[in-house]
Amino acid sequence: MTAAAAAPVRYRAPRANGAALLTLARLVRVEMRRNAMPWILPLIAALFWFDSYRPSIGAAPLYGLRTYWNMGEGHTINDFGPFVAGVAAWMGSRDGRRGLGDLVAAVSRPRWAAQLATWAATAIWAVAAYLVFVGVMFAWYAHQGVGGTPPWWWVAVGATAVIALSAVGFAIGAYWPSRFAAAAAAFTAFLALVLSYQIGFKHTSGWALILPTNFHGNFEGNAQVDSGIFYPWLPDLPIARIMFLAGIAVVALGLTGLPARAGSRRLRRAVAAVTLAGVALAGTAVGLANSAQLAAEGVVIPALHDAANDAPIAYSPVCARAAGLPVCLNPAYGRWLPDVTAELAPVLAEVAGLPGAPVRAVQVPASYPSNADGPPLILSLGGQPPVLSLSLGQLNMPGPCGFCGQVPTQEFTGQLQYLFARAFAGAGIGPGSLVQQAVQAALLLKVGMPFAAQVAATQNIPGSPQGQAPEPVYAAAQRLAALPAAARHDWLAAHLPALRAGGLTLGQVP
Amino acid sequence: MTAAGLHRPAPGSAPPPGAVTRRDRAAAGWRLARFYLVSRRVPMALALLAGLGALLWSALHWRWNIAGGPAAQLFIPLTIQAGAAAVIALATFGPFGEPERAAGRWLPWLRLGTAVALTAVAFGTLAAGAAAGGMPGGTLALLRNLGGMVGVGLLTAAVLGGAFSWTGPMAYLLISEGGLAHRSTTPWIWATRPPHDRGGAICACLVIAAGLVLITVRGPREPGREPGQAS
Repeated sequence: MTAAAAAPVRYRAPRANGAALLTLARLVRVEMRRNAMPWILPLIAALFWFDSYRPSIGAAPLYGLRTYWNMGEGHTINDFGPFVAGVAAWMGSRDGRRGLGDLVAAVSRPRWAAQLATWAATAIWAVAAYLVFVGVMFAWYAHQGVGGTPPWWWVAVGATAVIALSAVGFAIGAYWPSRFAAAAAAFTAFLALVLSYQIGFKHTSGWALILPTNFHGNFEGNAQVDSGIFYPWLPDLPIARIMFLAGIAVVALGLTGLPARAGSRRLRRAVAAVTLAGVALAGTAVGLANSAQLAAEGVVIPALHDAANDAPIAYSPVCARAAGLPVCLNPAYGRWLPDVTAELAPVLAEVAGLPGAPVRAVQVPASYPSNADGPPLILSLGGQPPVLSLSLGQLNMPGPCGFCGQVPTQEFTGQLQYLFARAFAGAGIGPGSLVQQAVQAALLLKVGMPFAAQVAATQNIPGSPQGQAPEPVYAAAQRLAALPAAARHDWLAAHLPALRAGGLTLGQVP
Repeated sequence: MTAAGLHRPAPGSAPPPGAVTRRDRAAAGWRLARFYLVSRRVPMALALLAGLGALLWSALHWRWNIAGGPAAQLFIPLTIQAGAAAVIALATFGPFGEPERAAGRWLPWLRLGTAVALTAVAFGTLAAGAAAGGMPGGTLALLRNLGGMVGVGLLTAAVLGGAFSWTGPMAYLLISEGGLAHRSTTPWIWATRPPHDRGGAICACLVIAAGLVLITVRGPREPGREPGQAS
């Protein structure tokens, strides 16, 4: 027995693995320093400001509306994606353009590992820039007092889209080492994003939900509902999209590892397996999107849905009084509390003391228009004693409103008073019975809204706008409005249950 | 040894000036132009322009614009036009740098001729692609939008370098998209203006003129530390 044989065997694998990781990290660091991505970032920053941030500040200061353009329609992806794909293609084609293919294929490390380091450096720059730009935008929103919580899951989708487009661009560059590769990758990426947006116009459900810039009927801001205010942003669809985009990234990177020069046969077999896994991941995500259903709080994918996300967000309401009644709103809508109380006060005063009149008004979440009868009522009366429920998320609040320009306070006043009169008369979703229309018109006449203004008030309310009522309705309304307040009050007190049940005729109106 | 043989030119040497015929000069000029075009990958650029024409034809024939208003109908044709402008701008990039500039007397004219010829070819192929019908704005808008975006590409090549000249048309495309969505009316976003609009046409002409002048006189920028040789 020799001393050498007696010596304990040293297990060196961890050290070797550590050294390999260190080498890879060093390689990534070198690639990050030599990367073309930082040179493009000032241009992307300017476009991000112009195309993602600037249009959004025209929307009402609620996260669902502010981020509708840049997160829902995917303009943050549009602003980053083509440039990231182009630069990644430029980096991916580097060795080929410089005629170094044979040289780098003969080095000790697999060619694919070095290519991955180049791609990783590009992707790290791109994703870091994306997160910084979006973070700064959200910080600025917070500084402006935007209500609600940001849609973080959609930010994750955007970051994954940037990764996927960088991988696709890199693969294009690796396979086609040409000066035209960067432009081809960039314009292909842009065309794909535009088509994804276009397809969404016709396909608001099913497989098309997986497309990263398809916002129709799936981004909660689209329906002017209260994600991030009353209930959390549902992560179901974002998770499916992240899976899809990650699958695309894996497939694109896997394709760069398949040629013989990429590495040993064993490595290429492993890469082929990973590529197939990427295909499976993307396919699974499409299947999940196909199973998506529209629920009251957004898009639900049963296989991904977590019931904990259905829990409402707790909040302390902000309250004020209108005609002596407490009116309470979510703090995200607090800036509009004075408008709401001032505009409800005249109509509340008109019905004060009646047995069916509300004793308070509270804001309720605007829900996705998922029920078969159309969107839920914006203002409704219910409970005992009656409570007025205000689903303000379905209305354009006074002030800036994105594509619809500016909502004047007068327009909002008309809408709120009209909707209250409808709710009080029990008109429901349709136009209501002739007597309900007459009572509603009489109430509005009494608060100073002529018939023409009543018709105009319906034009910008979600749902089909209502035209003029039949002439006998207006005649009955004028008769009712002309009655002394006490007589009108007495008639309403006596007939309110029958009125709401739709059981009266115009002849019974005094 | 006598001096008699010295009067005979050595085989392969350049003929004396008086002996150069017009035909020789034409052959040399053709060879110079051919080498220049090959060094700028013009054959590949022509193939790509033909491909973009076919893509436009497909987009219009099979109505890839499936929905949206008039602005949305412009997105795909505009993207293809911007792609053609990027191809033309990328063809300005030369691999030789200083030696070529020092020796190439005809270089500015070659740059101008190539840019103009490629723009004409691009217009021809895209107009042929638009024959499928349904091109928003018609041929006049195509000429204006393509010309303006070629100008943007040439200006970008002069400022950023030929290799990254595609970023100009791409950035302009994104700006146009935002302008169309928000109904911008500035003539500098000419794609948002009607085809016969004079302001949009003037702006597009100014941009392509500036691009052609800059690319002719200065050529694409060649940064000191080249990020990577173009192939």
